[in-house]
Amino acid sequence: MTRWQIFKNGVFNENPIFRLVLGMCSTLAVTTAVVNGIGMGIATTFVLTGSNVIIALLRNIIPKEIRIPAYVVVIATFTTIVDKTMAATMPDLHRVLGIFIPLIVVNCIVLARAEAFASKHSIVESAFDGLGMGMGFTLALTLLSLIRELLGTGTLLKASDFGFDGFSFFPDALGVKLLVLPPGAFITLGLLLAGINWFVARKGEKSHD
Amino acid sequence: MGKYEWRLIVVLTVICVLSGGVLGWVNSLTAPAIAEQEKLAKQRALQEALPMATEFAAEPAILPELVSKDRTRVAEVYRAYSEDKPQGYVVIVEARGYAGPIRMAVGVTAEGNLAALAVISQSETPGLGAEIKNKSFLTQPAFRRAKVGTELAVKKDRGEVDAVSSATISSRAVVRGVNAALTAAQVLLERDQTSGGDHID
Repeated sequence: MTRWQIFKNGVFNENPIFRLVLGMCSTLAVTTAVVNGIGMGIATTFVLTGSNVIIALLRNIIPKEIRIPAYVVVIATFTTIVDKTMAATMPDLHRVLGIFIPLIVVNCIVLARAEAFASKHSIVESAFDGLGMGMGFTLALTLLSLIRELLGTGTLLKASDFGFDGFSFFPDALGVKLLVLPPGAFITLGLLLAGINWFVARKGEKSHD
Repeated sequence: MGKYEWRLIVVLTVICVLSGGVLGWVNSLTAPAIAEQEKLAKQRALQEALPMATEFAAEPAILPELVSKDRTRVAEVYRAYSEDKPQGYVVIVEARGYAGPIRMAVGVTAEGNLAALAVISQSETPGLGAEIKNKSFLTQPAFRRAKVGTELAVKKDRGEVDAVSSATISSRAVVRGVNAALTAAQVLLERDQTSGGDHID
Protein backbone atom coordinates (compact mmCIF):
# COMPACT_ATOMS: atom_id res chain seq x y z
CA MET A 1 0.00 0.00 0.00
CA THR A 2 1.20 3.49 -0.74
CA ARG A 3 1.18 6.09 2.03
CA TRP A 4 -1.83 7.78 0.54
CA GLN A 5 -3.69 4.45 0.45
CA ILE A 6 -2.82 3.86 4.13
CA PHE A 7 -4.24 7.28 4.97
CA LYS A 8 -7.41 6.73 2.92
CA ASN A 9 -7.88 3.29 4.42
CA GLY A 10 -8.17 4.84 7.90
CA VAL A 11 -10.64 7.47 6.75
CA PHE A 12 -12.96 5.26 4.66
CA ASN A 13 -12.44 1.50 4.23
CA GLU A 14 -11.49 0.91 7.86
CA ASN A 15 -13.06 3.96 9.49
CA PRO A 16 -12.58 3.36 13.23
CA ILE A 17 -16.19 4.11 14.14
CA PHE A 18 -18.26 3.14 11.12
CA ARG A 19 -16.26 0.14 9.90
CA LEU A 20 -14.22 -1.13 12.87
CA VAL A 21 -16.73 0.03 15.53
CA LEU A 22 -13.92 0.78 18.01
CA GLY A 23 -13.57 3.50 20.62
CA MET A 24 -17.29 3.68 21.30
CA CYS A 25 -17.13 5.04 24.87
CA SER A 26 -15.72 8.43 23.97
CA THR A 27 -17.71 8.47 20.72
CA LEU A 28 -21.03 8.14 22.46
CA ALA A 29 -20.11 10.48 25.31
CA VAL A 30 -18.64 13.54 23.58
CA THR A 31 -20.78 13.85 20.45
CA THR A 32 -23.42 16.11 21.99
CA ALA A 33 -21.94 19.19 20.32
CA VAL A 34 -19.86 19.64 17.16
CA VAL A 35 -17.16 21.61 18.98
CA ASN A 36 -16.65 18.74 21.45
CA GLY A 37 -16.56 16.17 18.64
CA ILE A 38 -13.90 18.03 16.68
CA GLY A 39 -11.83 18.73 19.80
CA MET A 40 -11.89 15.09 20.86
CA GLY A 41 -11.08 13.99 17.30
CA ILE A 42 -8.01 16.19 17.09
CA ALA A 43 -6.77 15.16 20.55
CA THR A 44 -7.18 11.47 19.66
CA THR A 45 -5.44 11.98 16.30
CA PHE A 46 -2.42 13.41 18.10
CA VAL A 47 -2.24 10.49 20.54
CA LEU A 48 -2.77 7.93 17.75
CA THR A 49 -0.08 9.37 15.49
CA GLY A 50 2.40 9.89 18.34
CA SER A 51 1.97 6.42 19.81
CA ASN A 52 2.03 4.79 16.36
CA VAL A 53 5.37 6.47 15.54
CA ILE A 54 7.02 5.55 18.85
CA ILE A 55 5.72 1.98 18.74
CA ALA A 56 6.92 1.54 15.14
CA LEU A 57 10.29 2.92 16.21
CA LEU A 58 10.53 0.42 19.09
CA ARG A 59 8.91 -2.52 17.26
CA ASN A 60 12.13 -4.54 17.04
CA ILE A 61 13.19 -3.75 20.60
CA ILE A 62 10.01 -4.57 22.53
CA PRO A 63 9.78 -8.32 23.26
CA LYS A 64 6.45 -9.95 22.44
CA GLU A 65 5.59 -10.84 26.07
CA ILE A 66 5.65 -7.26 27.35
CA ARG A 67 4.31 -5.49 24.27
CA ILE A 68 0.90 -4.65 25.78
CA PRO A 69 2.24 -2.91 28.94
CA ALA A 70 4.83 -1.15 26.80
CA TYR A 71 2.16 0.11 24.39
CA VAL A 72 -0.06 1.25 27.26
CA VAL A 73 2.82 3.25 28.80
CA VAL A 74 3.53 4.95 25.46
CA ILE A 75 -0.16 5.73 24.87
CA ALA A 76 -0.66 7.01 28.43
CA THR A 77 2.39 9.27 28.04
CA PHE A 78 1.00 10.89 24.89
CA THR A 79 -2.44 11.25 26.45
CA THR A 80 -0.98 13.03 29.47
CA ILE A 81 1.00 15.34 27.18
CA VAL A 82 -2.23 16.27 25.35
CA ASP A 83 -4.07 16.77 28.64
CA LYS A 84 -1.41 19.05 30.15
CA THR A 85 -0.77 21.02 26.97
CA MET A 86 -4.46 21.59 26.43
CA ALA A 87 -4.99 22.72 30.04
CA ALA A 88 -2.12 25.19 29.69
CA THR A 89 -2.95 26.63 26.27
CA MET A 90 -6.67 26.04 25.61
CA PRO A 91 -8.35 26.15 29.04
CA ASP A 92 -11.84 26.63 27.56
CA LEU A 93 -11.66 23.52 25.39
CA HIS A 94 -10.05 21.68 28.28
CA ARG A 95 -12.93 22.59 30.56
CA VAL A 96 -15.35 20.99 28.07
CA LEU A 97 -13.32 17.90 27.23
CA GLY A 98 -11.49 17.64 30.55
CA ILE A 99 -13.16 14.45 31.72
CA PHE A 100 -12.84 12.70 28.35
CA ILE A 101 -9.17 13.38 27.53
CA PRO A 102 -7.73 10.91 30.07
CA LEU A 103 -10.09 8.31 28.59
CA ILE A 104 -8.13 8.35 25.32
CA VAL A 105 -5.84 5.90 27.11
CA VAL A 106 -8.57 3.28 27.07
CA ASN A 107 -9.83 4.13 23.58
CA CYS A 108 -9.49 0.74 21.89
CA ILE A 109 -8.67 2.27 18.53
CA VAL A 110 -5.30 3.53 19.81
CA LEU A 111 -4.21 0.18 21.22
CA ALA A 112 -5.70 -1.63 18.20
CA ARG A 113 -3.58 0.36 15.73
CA ALA A 114 -0.47 -0.15 17.88
CA GLU A 115 -1.02 -3.90 17.86
CA ALA A 116 -2.42 -4.39 14.35
CA PHE A 117 -0.40 -1.85 12.40
CA ALA A 118 2.44 0.04 14.09
CA SER A 119 4.10 -3.09 15.47
CA LYS A 120 4.46 -4.47 11.91
CA HIS A 121 5.16 -1.40 9.77
CA SER A 122 7.75 1.33 9.28
CA ILE A 123 7.68 4.62 11.16
CA VAL A 124 6.44 6.64 8.18
CA GLU A 125 3.70 4.15 7.30
CA SER A 126 2.60 4.07 10.94
CA ALA A 127 2.45 7.86 11.03
CA PHE A 128 0.18 7.86 7.98
CA ASP A 129 -1.97 5.15 9.53
CA GLY A 130 -2.31 7.22 12.72
CA LEU A 131 -3.20 10.36 10.77
CA GLY A 132 -5.71 8.50 8.58
CA MET A 133 -7.37 6.69 11.46
CA GLY A 134 -7.44 9.95 13.46
CA MET A 135 -8.99 11.78 10.53
CA GLY A 136 -11.58 9.02 10.10
CA PHE A 137 -12.36 9.16 13.82
CA THR A 138 -12.67 12.97 13.72
CA LEU A 139 -14.95 12.90 10.65
CA ALA A 140 -17.20 10.28 12.22
CA LEU A 141 -17.42 12.21 15.51
CA THR A 142 -18.22 15.40 13.60
CA LEU A 143 -20.97 13.71 11.60
CA LEU A 144 -22.55 12.17 14.72
CA SER A 145 -22.38 15.39 16.73
CA LEU A 146 -23.69 17.40 13.78
CA ILE A 147 -26.89 15.35 13.74
CA ARG A 148 -27.27 15.26 17.52
CA GLU A 149 -26.60 18.94 18.12
CA LEU A 150 -28.72 20.21 15.23
CA LEU A 151 -31.79 18.05 15.86
CA GLY A 152 -31.40 18.01 19.63
CA THR A 153 -30.92 21.69 20.37
CA GLY A 154 -31.53 23.52 17.08
CA THR A 155 -28.04 25.06 17.02
CA LEU A 156 -24.76 24.27 15.34
CA LEU A 157 -21.23 24.96 16.58
CA LYS A 158 -22.54 26.32 19.85
CA ALA A 159 -19.71 26.79 22.33
CA SER A 160 -20.92 28.84 25.27
CA ASP A 161 -17.65 28.22 27.13
CA PHE A 162 -15.91 30.19 24.39
CA GLY A 163 -18.61 32.88 24.40
CA PHE A 164 -19.82 31.81 20.95
CA ASP A 165 -23.53 31.16 20.59
CA GLY A 166 -23.28 29.24 17.32
CA PHE A 167 -25.84 29.26 14.55
CA SER A 168 -29.42 28.85 15.63
CA PHE A 169 -31.81 27.10 13.22
CA PHE A 170 -34.88 26.66 15.38
CA PRO A 171 -35.76 27.37 19.03
CA ASP A 172 -34.24 25.10 21.64
CA ALA A 173 -37.70 24.09 22.91
CA LEU A 174 -38.45 22.31 19.60
CA GLY A 175 -35.28 20.21 19.78
CA VAL A 176 -35.55 16.44 20.20
CA LYS A 177 -33.97 16.31 23.67
CA LEU A 178 -33.60 12.55 23.44
CA LEU A 179 -30.83 13.02 20.89
CA VAL A 180 -28.50 14.87 23.26
CA LEU A 181 -29.07 12.27 25.98
CA PRO A 182 -27.16 8.96 26.04
CA PRO A 183 -29.92 6.93 24.28
CA GLY A 184 -29.80 9.44 21.42
CA ALA A 185 -26.12 8.61 20.95
CA PHE A 186 -26.89 4.92 20.49
CA ILE A 187 -29.87 5.57 18.20
CA THR A 188 -27.98 8.02 15.97
CA LEU A 189 -24.93 5.76 15.76
CA GLY A 190 -27.12 2.73 15.00
CA LEU A 191 -28.96 4.47 12.18
CA LEU A 192 -25.73 5.81 10.70
CA LEU A 193 -24.09 2.37 10.86
CA ALA A 194 -27.12 0.78 9.22
CA GLY A 195 -27.11 3.39 6.46
CA ILE A 196 -23.40 3.00 5.78
CA ASN A 197 -23.57 -0.81 5.81
CA TRP A 198 -26.51 -0.70 3.40
CA PHE A 199 -24.59 1.64 1.11
CA VAL A 200 -21.44 -0.50 1.20
CA ALA A 201 -23.41 -3.72 0.62
CA ARG A 202 -25.22 -2.24 -2.37
CA LYS A 203 -21.97 -0.99 -3.85
CA GLY A 204 -20.47 -4.46 -3.34
CA GLU A 205 -23.38 -6.15 -5.13
CA LYS A 206 -23.10 -3.84 -8.08
CA SER A 207 -19.41 -4.48 -8.53
CA HIS A 208 -20.11 -8.23 -8.56
CA ASP A 209 -22.54 -7.93 -11.48
CA MET B 1 16.68 -16.09 35.35
CA GLY B 2 17.86 -16.38 31.79
CA LYS B 3 19.13 -13.66 29.55
CA TYR B 4 15.76 -13.26 27.84
CA GLU B 5 13.89 -12.62 31.10
CA TRP B 6 16.42 -9.95 32.01
CA ARG B 7 15.79 -8.33 28.65
CA LEU B 8 12.04 -8.13 29.41
CA ILE B 9 12.73 -6.38 32.70
CA VAL B 10 15.28 -3.98 31.27
CA VAL B 11 13.19 -2.97 28.24
CA LEU B 12 10.03 -2.29 30.22
CA THR B 13 11.97 -0.43 32.92
CA VAL B 14 13.73 1.76 30.36
CA ILE B 15 10.41 2.58 28.65
CA CYS B 16 8.83 3.55 31.97
CA VAL B 17 11.82 5.65 33.02
CA LEU B 18 11.88 7.48 29.67
CA SER B 19 8.14 8.06 29.88
CA GLY B 20 8.52 9.43 33.41
CA GLY B 21 11.29 11.75 32.26
CA VAL B 22 9.24 13.09 29.35
CA LEU B 23 6.20 13.63 31.57
CA GLY B 24 8.26 15.42 34.20
CA TRP B 25 9.62 17.72 31.53
CA VAL B 26 6.16 18.41 30.07
CA ASN B 27 4.81 19.06 33.55
CA SER B 28 7.55 21.56 34.35
CA LEU B 29 6.68 23.40 31.12
CA THR B 30 2.92 23.45 31.59
CA ALA B 31 2.40 23.64 35.38
CA PRO B 32 3.00 27.41 35.72
CA ALA B 33 0.70 28.14 32.76
CA ILE B 34 -2.04 25.88 34.15
CA ALA B 35 -1.86 27.55 37.57
CA GLU B 36 -2.01 30.96 35.87
CA GLN B 37 -5.08 29.92 33.81
CA GLU B 38 -6.88 28.69 36.93
CA LYS B 39 -6.18 31.96 38.71
CA LEU B 40 -7.45 33.93 35.71
CA ALA B 41 -10.62 31.85 35.48
CA LYS B 42 -11.39 32.43 39.14
CA GLN B 43 -10.65 36.15 38.91
CA ARG B 44 -13.00 36.35 35.91
CA ALA B 45 -15.77 34.58 37.82
CA LEU B 46 -15.37 36.88 40.85
CA GLN B 47 -15.46 39.92 38.60
CA GLU B 48 -18.55 38.63 36.82
CA ALA B 49 -20.36 37.96 40.09
CA LEU B 50 -19.71 41.45 41.48
CA PRO B 51 -18.87 43.78 38.59
CA MET B 52 -18.55 46.96 40.68
CA ALA B 53 -15.66 45.61 42.74
CA THR B 54 -12.04 45.68 41.64
CA GLU B 55 -10.30 43.77 44.42
CA PHE B 56 -11.16 40.56 46.16
CA ALA B 57 -9.71 39.34 49.42
CA ALA B 58 -10.28 35.81 50.62
CA GLU B 59 -12.12 35.65 53.91
CA PRO B 60 -10.54 32.80 55.83
CA ALA B 61 -13.28 32.31 58.39
CA ILE B 62 -15.84 30.17 56.60
CA LEU B 63 -18.93 29.79 58.66
CA PRO B 64 -18.86 26.22 59.94
CA GLU B 65 -22.65 25.78 60.11
CA LEU B 66 -22.91 26.64 56.40
CA VAL B 67 -20.06 24.63 55.05
CA SER B 68 -22.07 21.60 54.06
CA LYS B 69 -25.83 21.23 54.07
CA ASP B 70 -28.40 19.67 51.77
CA ARG B 71 -25.81 18.62 49.13
CA THR B 72 -24.66 22.23 48.99
CA ARG B 73 -21.37 23.60 50.23
CA VAL B 74 -19.98 27.06 50.81
CA ALA B 75 -16.47 26.63 49.42
CA GLU B 76 -14.91 30.07 49.69
CA VAL B 77 -15.90 33.58 50.69
CA TYR B 78 -14.35 36.76 49.32
CA ARG B 79 -14.72 40.31 50.51
CA ALA B 80 -14.92 42.70 47.61
CA TYR B 81 -13.57 46.25 47.47
CA SER B 82 -13.12 49.04 45.04
CA GLU B 83 -10.63 51.72 46.06
CA ASP B 84 -10.63 50.33 49.63
CA LYS B 85 -14.38 50.77 49.98
CA PRO B 86 -16.22 47.56 50.82
CA GLN B 87 -18.56 46.56 48.01
CA GLY B 88 -19.94 43.34 49.36
CA TYR B 89 -19.06 39.68 49.11
CA VAL B 90 -18.58 36.96 46.58
CA VAL B 91 -19.49 33.53 47.87
CA ILE B 92 -18.26 30.50 45.97
CA VAL B 93 -20.67 27.62 46.43
CA GLU B 94 -20.86 24.05 45.21
CA ALA B 95 -24.24 22.39 44.81
CA ARG B 96 -24.77 18.83 43.68
CA GLY B 97 -26.62 18.90 40.36
CA TYR B 98 -27.79 16.07 38.14
CA ALA B 99 -24.39 14.85 36.98
CA GLY B 100 -21.96 16.37 39.46
CA PRO B 101 -21.14 19.46 41.49
CA ILE B 102 -22.06 22.85 40.06
CA ARG B 103 -19.55 25.45 41.22
CA MET B 104 -20.74 29.03 41.15
CA ALA B 105 -19.69 32.49 42.24
CA VAL B 106 -22.51 34.49 43.80
CA GLY B 107 -22.03 38.23 44.24
CA VAL B 108 -23.84 40.03 47.05
CA THR B 109 -23.63 43.82 47.39
CA ALA B 110 -22.91 45.64 50.65
CA GLU B 111 -26.65 46.39 50.85
CA GLY B 112 -27.38 42.67 50.75
CA ASN B 113 -28.75 42.45 47.20
CA LEU B 114 -27.80 39.68 44.88
CA ALA B 115 -25.54 41.23 42.22
CA ALA B 116 -24.94 38.45 39.71
CA LEU B 117 -24.22 34.75 39.33
CA ALA B 118 -21.40 33.10 37.43
CA VAL B 119 -21.07 29.36 36.86
CA ILE B 120 -17.41 28.40 37.28
CA SER B 121 -17.65 24.71 36.45
CA GLN B 122 -20.36 22.10 35.95
CA SER B 123 -20.78 18.73 34.28
CA GLU B 124 -24.52 18.69 33.57
CA THR B 125 -25.99 17.13 30.45
CA PRO B 126 -25.18 19.24 27.38
CA GLY B 127 -28.34 20.64 25.85
CA LEU B 128 -30.31 20.11 29.05
CA GLY B 129 -28.87 20.80 32.49
CA ALA B 130 -25.83 22.54 31.04
CA GLU B 131 -28.17 25.33 29.90
CA ILE B 132 -28.03 26.69 33.47
CA LYS B 133 -24.92 28.51 32.23
CA ASN B 134 -27.10 30.60 29.93
CA LYS B 135 -27.54 34.29 30.62
CA SER B 136 -31.31 34.00 30.12
CA PHE B 137 -31.49 31.68 33.13
CA LEU B 138 -28.89 33.34 35.38
CA THR B 139 -30.13 36.91 34.88
CA GLN B 140 -33.86 36.26 35.24
CA PRO B 141 -35.89 38.67 37.42
CA ALA B 142 -36.26 36.21 40.31
CA PHE B 143 -32.46 36.19 40.75
CA ARG B 144 -32.06 39.90 40.10
CA ARG B 145 -34.62 40.74 42.77
CA ALA B 146 -33.19 38.34 45.34
CA LYS B 147 -31.58 39.68 48.46
CA VAL B 148 -30.30 38.51 51.81
CA GLY B 149 -33.14 36.89 53.71
CA THR B 150 -35.05 35.64 50.67
CA GLU B 151 -35.38 31.91 50.22
CA LEU B 152 -35.60 31.16 46.51
CA ALA B 153 -37.30 28.17 44.93
CA VAL B 154 -38.15 27.04 41.40
CA LYS B 155 -41.72 27.41 40.16
CA LYS B 156 -42.35 23.70 40.53
CA ASP B 157 -41.64 24.10 44.25
CA ARG B 158 -43.98 27.11 44.40
CA GLY B 159 -41.15 29.60 44.04
CA GLU B 160 -40.43 32.29 41.49
CA VAL B 161 -37.42 30.94 39.65
CA ASP B 162 -38.07 29.84 36.06
CA ALA B 163 -36.27 26.49 35.78
CA VAL B 164 -34.44 25.51 32.60
CA SER B 165 -36.93 23.40 30.63
CA SER B 166 -36.59 19.68 31.35
CA ALA B 167 -33.75 20.38 33.78
CA THR B 168 -35.43 20.89 37.14
CA ILE B 169 -32.74 19.05 39.09
CA SER B 170 -29.95 21.26 37.74
CA SER B 171 -32.05 24.40 38.24
CA ARG B 172 -32.85 23.39 41.82
CA ALA B 173 -29.13 22.92 42.49
CA VAL B 174 -28.41 26.47 41.32
CA VAL B 175 -31.20 27.76 43.56
CA ARG B 176 -29.81 25.82 46.55
CA GLY B 177 -26.40 27.31 45.83
CA VAL B 178 -27.80 30.83 45.69
CA ASN B 179 -29.70 30.30 48.95
CA ALA B 180 -26.56 29.03 50.68
CA ALA B 181 -24.60 32.01 49.37
CA LEU B 182 -27.26 34.47 50.56
CA THR B 183 -27.24 32.91 54.03
CA ALA B 184 -23.46 33.13 54.18
CA ALA B 185 -23.60 36.76 53.08
CA GLN B 186 -26.24 37.49 55.71
CA VAL B 187 -24.05 36.14 58.51
CA LEU B 188 -21.10 38.19 57.23
CA LEU B 189 -23.22 41.34 56.89
CA GLU B 190 -24.52 41.03 60.44
CA ARG B 191 -21.06 40.37 61.77
CA ASP B 192 -19.63 43.40 59.92
CA GLN B 193 -22.41 45.67 61.14
CA THR B 194 -21.78 44.82 64.80
CA SER B 195 -18.03 45.27 64.42
CA GLY B 196 -18.48 48.53 62.53
CA GLY B 197 -17.38 47.40 59.11
CA ASP B 198 -14.17 45.96 57.82
CA HIS B 199 -11.49 47.65 55.74
CA ILE B 200 -8.33 46.59 54.05
CA ASP B 201 -5.44 47.89 56.13
